[in-house]
Amino acid sequence: MKTIVMLWRRHRLLLTAFVFATALTLFFAARFTLFVLYWSDPAHRNQPLQGWMTIGYIAHSYDVPREALADALGLVPPEKGKRPTLDSLARDRGMTAAEFQAEIKAAIERLRKDGADK
Amino acid sequence: MTETILALAPIYGLPFLALITGLSCLGLPAPASVLMMLMGSFAAAGEFALAPVLATALISSIGADQLGFFIGRFGGQAVTARISSRPGRKAALNRATKEIERHGRLGVFLTRWLFSPLGPYVNLITGATGFPWARFTIFGVVGEVVWVSIHVGLGIAFSDNVLAIAEVVGDASGFLAAGAVAVFLGWRLFKILHRTKNESA
Repeated sequence: MKTIVMLWRRHRLLLTAFVFATALTLFFAARFTLFVLYWSDPAHRNQPLQGWMTIGYIAHSYDVPREALADALGLVPPEKGKRPTLDSLARDRGMTAAEFQAEIKAAIERLRKDGADK
Repeated sequence: MTETILALAPIYGLPFLALITGLSCLGLPAPASVLMMLMGSFAAAGEFALAPVLATALISSIGADQLGFFIGRFGGQAVTARISSRPGRKAALNRATKEIERHGRLGVFLTRWLFSPLGPYVNLITGATGFPWARFTIFGVVGEVVWVSIHVGLGIAFSDNVLAIAEVVGDASGFLAAGAVAVFLGWRLFKILHRTKNESA
């Protein structure tokens, strides 16, 4: 206790910085542990569809052929160098993001079933 | 915030990667590591070619390091000159400069990737204290190669669920940087305590 009082009197800046850095370290350690626990649960491993994803990424993540997925959704191949996201594709079709995601999910299910039948 | 960034990546591609990587290496809060992992995943999914992704991130980070170093060299010298005008502080600055010169190589290398949040400050400090440019560049480039390869590599390896790995890596990197600072400050406190004990004994 006496030591802490001495440090506080003479080296306030150093002591404050040390306490702050230690707290920050513990914070990151706790978050790291929580994320590892969360993502190691198999129920959380399937990546939910999100607005930023491209059809190519979704096909890759859900392990279905890219062209087959695009066909199933009735998509024309995008112009060279263009990578439309899920959100922009939904807008083009006049659908909400949620409606389009439901359609993609259904298409993936169908493709997986067809793949399993063969 | 991250969602918006993620949505811009497939649209603006490599120029966007260059911008975010550069800003982050200058110490601005830009999510370069998440974006590099994401671009790695996009490369794995066939949306981008891998080589341009690697080259863009590498060139941009090395360029921003150089910019930081020269901002330190030209902007920082006014600061160090002012510090040196007082004799007591001048001695302290000289000691610090010597320490930086001795440990700078490892410091520059490790703050590129293992303790990357500290990198931008190391660029400014090495620049301001007259650390040799060639040495800074060599160890900086090697460090950035490690940084870019790890992140893009993780993005490829965990491309099925890139957000999961991005969160874990972000926290690991914060933990290491904050931990390194805590250990350094703790060591300073320990030395002070040790000295006081010897004086009073």
